[in-house]
Amino acid sequence: MLEIKNLHVAIGGKEILKGLTLSIQAGEVHAIMGPNGSGKSTLSYVLAGRAGYDITEGSISYNGEDLAALAPEDRAAKGVFLAMQYPVEIPGVTTMTFLKTALNSQRRKRGETDLDAIGVLKLVRRKAATLNVSEEMLKRALNVGFSGGEKKRLEILQMAIFEPKLAILDETDSGLDIDALKLVAEGVNALRSPERAMLVITHYQRLLDYIVPDRIHVLAGGRIVAEGGKELALELEAKGYEHIVKEPA
Amino acid sequence: MTGVTALGLPEARRNEAAALFRARGVPHRRIEQWKYSDLKAALGESGVGAVVATWLVGNLPSGVEVFDLAQKNPPDWVREHFAHPTDNTMSAASLALSSGGVAFRAPKHAVITDPLKVDFTGKGHVRGLLVLEEGAALTLVEGAGLTDFRNVGFEIVLGEGAVLEHVRISPNADDGVLVEEVAVQVAARARYRAHFASFGSKLSRLELEIALEGAGAQAHLSGVSVLDGKRHSDVTTHIVHASGNTNSTQIFKHVAGGQGRAVYQGKVTVAKGANGSDSNQSAKALLLGDAAEADLKPELEIFADDVKCAHGAAVGDLDAESLFYLRARGISEAEARGLLLHAFLEDAVAQIVNTDQRELVRTELLTALKAMA
Repeated sequence: MLEIKNLHVAIGGKEILKGLTLSIQAGEVHAIMGPNGSGKSTLSYVLAGRAGYDITEGSISYNGEDLAALAPEDRAAKGVFLAMQYPVEIPGVTTMTFLKTALNSQRRKRGETDLDAIGVLKLVRRKAATLNVSEEMLKRALNVGFSGGEKKRLEILQMAIFEPKLAILDETDSGLDIDALKLVAEGVNALRSPERAMLVITHYQRLLDYIVPDRIHVLAGGRIVAEGGKELALELEAKGYEHIVKEPA
Repeated sequence: MTGVTALGLPEARRNEAAALFRARGVPHRRIEQWKYSDLKAALGESGVGAVVATWLVGNLPSGVEVFDLAQKNPPDWVREHFAHPTDNTMSAASLALSSGGVAFRAPKHAVITDPLKVDFTGKGHVRGLLVLEEGAALTLVEGAGLTDFRNVGFEIVLGEGAVLEHVRISPNADDGVLVEEVAVQVAARARYRAHFASFGSKLSRLELEIALEGAGAQAHLSGVSVLDGKRHSDVTTHIVHASGNTNSTQIFKHVAGGQGRAVYQGKVTVAKGANGSDSNQSAKALLLGDAAEADLKPELEIFADDVKCAHGAAVGDLDAESLFYLRARGISEAEARGLLLHAFLEDAVAQIVNTDQRELVRTELLTALKAMA
């Protein structure tokens, strides 16, 4: 589903990703682990299409299509979803209005008809209940005054509503206590499916206790320096990044 | 007996106003207050003229009394409140040059639920007067017809405990030069709430002079403008906390694209001895292009102790982070921009209490923002 080959990405002329290669198939959950500054967030933003991230070399192929050529909104409509590390607060737009606008925008781009207000409401309510997102949160301005946990839950709720094909979770565990983490992980696990690929980006092994990946890649200095199964996370936890990063990849 | 003009105005008052206007002439950009709104240049050779503009009452709710100021023998409440001495140049001009206008009164403790709708139309000068007696409550919806030049001088008098919500929508008028001065006296415990939506014209200037004259008097102003093309909108306010324990808030939001120009000049004066006054003013503008301009000038003048005054102004562009977030969720760039612009204006719109008017302003804003995208 996703084929990243020799990807080089620069921000303002400074190279952050330096030849990253990664392949994910439908139905798989991959984790990217790495120390701060290794390029994890750069990878997530470049996949979602944020401006200012220049691809200087290499390619990203998504279901056979050149992902980099698509606008962020077109990527979303084609099933790419990034659960952000820092969801933005937008005063003046209620969460419900935002969800409805986004859902119908994606549907329209795919040539589907709009869901009417009642249809959206029913869908959102059904999914919100399992993620403990209250009716009151949906009425509030998007992310405004939400706690860290509420913001992350809302990101996962969006994932549940939009039903992406490729979900990228950027540091979804950051700022969460253990109960919130479990809730979010349950939400993510419920969305595992043979048609869906997930890329879980995290600094800590903790999240991977709850979202167990099929494969782990260690990112350091803009490259994948180690790869392995879920046991790699435990090794990283025990020995730290330095141990792995120093070994020849 | 002194001479009385058609406006029921003592000749002396009219002469005084004429002298003031003659001495000062049409305001231009070298006068500090008019720096961003060069009325003289906008009017060109035709000047202010001496034509009388007209008025139209769209809806006169029962309980509201009306008097045509062009008629002779005005009732006592008009004589008492009409044509207070003014230092405002354009207000003096309308007093001196116009013999037309309209006056309204809501009597003591009359709580009027239907809004009073008044449109000022046509070219020239016109006067308005609205008196809410003690404990009266009313919603005033003011409209503006299109023309090449109009100057409205409006006086509003709120008796003790009276409550007025004043909504004014100024449509886009590329060639119009629209000037209005509103003078408001707010007695103890009375509340003046005002909302101004402006879509700009060749020159559009709304001046408010508000006096909070008794303890508990309040003024709450909010305004939005969406300006495209070469359209201009200027709201200039002066709130005087003449008495202690008075409260005022102002929130103004502007969106300017093309060569649009938004102006907000807000001065708050807290008079000597007006302790316990509380005032807050905020003005923000988003500029959607290099040629758009916003001039935001909040100003405080404090002669009392123990007051709480805050002000702030900010000019910027749409937040790139927010725009990316919305686009990453599938919302097209144009729609995302529209949503963010609407959100930017919303907290000022939300101040409108009358739900019909609030929805009307929202709809007009959406239309204007769409035309801009």
